[in-house]
Amino acid sequence: MASNWLIFLAAGACVGVIVLGLIVFPLVRWRSRPGDGEPPQFANNYPLEIAWTVIPLLIVGGLFVATYGAEARVDALADHPAATVAVDAYRWGWTFAYRGGPTIGGASSGPASLGVGQAVPELVLPLGETTRIELSASDVDHGFWIPDFLFKRDAIPGQTTAFDLVPTKLGTFEGRCSAFCGLQHESMLFRVRVVTPSAFVNWEKAQE
Amino acid sequence: MTVGLRLFLSSAAFGVVIALAYWFTSRESIGTLMLGIMAFGLSFVAGYMIVAEREADLVGDKKDATMLSAAGELVGTYTVTSPLPLGSALAVTFVGLGIVVSPVIAVLGILALLAFGALLIIQSR
Amino acid sequence: MSAAAMPALPEAAQRHNLLSWLTTTDHKRIGILYLLTSLAYFGVAGFLSLLIRTQLARPNSTFVNAHQYAQLFTLHGTAMIFLFVAPFAFGLGNFLIPLQIGAPDMAFPRLNATSYWLFLFGGLVIFLGAATNEGAAASGWTAYPPLSEIRVSTGLGQDLWIVGVFLVSVATIVTSINFVTTVFIFRAPGMTMWRIPIFTWEMVATSLLVFMAFPSLAATLLLLLVDRKLGGHAFDPAYGGSPVLWDHLFWFFGHPEVYVMILPYFGVISEIVPVFSRKPIFGYTGLVLAAFAIAGLSMGVWAHHMFTTGVVNNPFFAFVSFLIAVPTGVKFFNWIATMWRGSISFETPMLFTIGFLLNFLIGGITGVMLASPPIDYQAHDSYFVVAHFHYVLGGGSLFAIFAALFFWWPKMFGVKLDEALGRWCFGLLFVGFNLTFLPMHFMGVMGMPRRVFTYDAGGPLPMLNLIATVGSYVMLAGVSVFVMNAIVSARARIPVGDDPWHANSLEWWTSSPPPEHNFESLPPIRSERPVYDARVAKA
Repeated sequence: MASNWLIFLAAGACVGVIVLGLIVFPLVRWRSRPGDGEPPQFANNYPLEIAWTVIPLLIVGGLFVATYGAEARVDALADHPAATVAVDAYRWGWTFAYRGGPTIGGASSGPASLGVGQAVPELVLPLGETTRIELSASDVDHGFWIPDFLFKRDAIPGQTTAFDLVPTKLGTFEGRCSAFCGLQHESMLFRVRVVTPSAFVNWEKAQE
Repeated sequence: MTVGLRLFLSSAAFGVVIALAYWFTSRESIGTLMLGIMAFGLSFVAGYMIVAEREADLVGDKKDATMLSAAGELVGTYTVTSPLPLGSALAVTFVGLGIVVSPVIAVLGILALLAFGALLIIQSR
Repeated sequence: MSAAAMPALPEAAQRHNLLSWLTTTDHKRIGILYLLTSLAYFGVAGFLSLLIRTQLARPNSTFVNAHQYAQLFTLHGTAMIFLFVAPFAFGLGNFLIPLQIGAPDMAFPRLNATSYWLFLFGGLVIFLGAATNEGAAASGWTAYPPLSEIRVSTGLGQDLWIVGVFLVSVATIVTSINFVTTVFIFRAPGMTMWRIPIFTWEMVATSLLVFMAFPSLAATLLLLLVDRKLGGHAFDPAYGGSPVLWDHLFWFFGHPEVYVMILPYFGVISEIVPVFSRKPIFGYTGLVLAAFAIAGLSMGVWAHHMFTTGVVNNPFFAFVSFLIAVPTGVKFFNWIATMWRGSISFETPMLFTIGFLLNFLIGGITGVMLASPPIDYQAHDSYFVVAHFHYVLGGGSLFAIFAALFFWWPKMFGVKLDEALGRWCFGLLFVGFNLTFLPMHFMGVMGMPRRVFTYDAGGPLPMLNLIATVGSYVMLAGVSVFVMNAIVSARARIPVGDDPWHANSLEWWTSSPPPEHNFESLPPIRSERPVYDARVAKA
């Protein structure tokens, strides 16, 4: 959720700059000079201490409210998704089983670079429509991560977890495994291709 | 009530509060159990301290005490060196290694521990 | 008081041979053993990190293979966490706590020594795995099942890892028992709990955390061992077990563990800032309450490491995780207020303290970001998280460790470390550290996962990784300068007096190094800075 990122980056930058200033200012302003007497030995200021407890409390309270809303939107499950795909993660690849549609599966091979002509499995999604993903794993923990979607969910054996993807841009995006799963963890890639809804229907038909 | 007891009592109370808050917001049994065990353990220590403190009279807690006023009391005696720490740590390590490598090593470790235990009891007499 | 009332003190002088060190129960010696051993493990873990960074300097590098790489990051993480950052703090606590409260030793000296040896041997057992056929443990310091189960990780290395970490956790619990008992019972006359130094308070809070968290680790390790050796299925879904059970049990320990690794160092900062600002610590009560607020709250945030599993109450854990930022901020403001209108000098301990403040500020901010589940959905298991925890542990704890070394070295060894070399050490470490870890924030957001031995050749990742590797070598230079400093100052042997820094707490009353029984005499203790009060009274 990009707006959530921006809120937190902005808040973090503000807090960071202010506190940085508060740290650096005394170091410059009150650096010791020869002939300095003993500085004033104050050690308390209760109103100040209460203020710097309450104000941060309010700030994190606000951040929590923003987060809660953003999370509710990201995790929301639609009543009637346009498509449903059962995704299985295994050592070391992905299987995409479209309900009422094709099953795409296959191991990716070799390290890293996407688009260098390797057989990475492709998850095709319709633009602007809801695709329900039901995610699980066959052997160890894996992670289903699409960095361009700012989203990942862990694939854990023995349970199925569901989330919705509603792509907003056409194109091809990288997918990878995020949870360390053994010696070919870094090459456990997949691809996400977002097409128009009509192209999606044609693609499904062509797979039969 | 000493500061230490207050610390364990408030920690135990906090444990109860957070265990309950967690259960009623999440209904998740593993975390609730762990928090509950934590609260129980802290209460156990607090309970022991309540009993133990009845007879305590710590010089450290007297705000205006001086070295002279507390001097002369024999607090205890220290052993300044001992072979028991290195020996028993080695023995425990053997037991651990033995569990995963070979039972012979574990048995050696247990025998060594028994020997050191006996040594400890003899030294304490 | 008549001379006849005094019991006779033992005559034996402390020996300096190997046997005396092997059988010591003196908290000062045990403390030094902890420090030297943990620094040795730091050297090893640091060397492993240089191998990691060398592999990642270029994409598709074949410097190490995938299996070797997995052992590297597993041992690096395990050693830094269990064998360096935490034990160093316990070593510091061992040396300082009796001195700071005016006691002659810890409550249980033999037990104290036993936990040191358990720590040393536990670490050796962990590394023993590297000598086995299938190599050391290779499932990360978090050892998630099913990856760490016997049918996937078939080697003895994983079992040795379990045993070694178990021994270290027993040692840690035992040490914490010693610390709390000592602080509660053995304070000198007039040293009330509200007059003990902040470092000692932080060690009490740390010990409380250990009591609450480490038993979970010990039990969970045993569960995994039963799974691996005795046919158990606690974490195996095929038989009704659950990998998520491990996640809950491990992180119930794992999150408090990171506070075990920072609270003592908050204590170090709280000791150093007042001395080099020539003012008392500001907000003593607030600092103490904040320490326990952090300790308590940290028991309720564990599943923020599980936000992406989809099976935990994310908002609960997000809320409590946000709350922890508040007492942490309180500490920052207290330190700033201590410097405010002070008279600040920049000796090496203070330089490292300032480095701590700057680095931990960044680490704390990224921590608050990660507490937000939607942000964590992107950042989890990526280099953004690696950046965050290195900023708080490396930029934070490591810098505090160097601050502590430079501050208390004179008290421990009776010689001062060289100031000029100290400045070089700080400069190299500060620049090197930020060069290494700042780029990692961007790597993570760009999609680089953690625990990978290579990455995309296209895009900015190769350049960012190369910068990070260069930074790690600059850090190596900084650490080397420290080693040189230790050797040079040992040769020069410039003696220091009791109180070279004009400091505040009781350890600065006695000689450097202290006599075996710690104190020949004690000043009146009427505040949290008895040595300062005595200096003022004499003037």
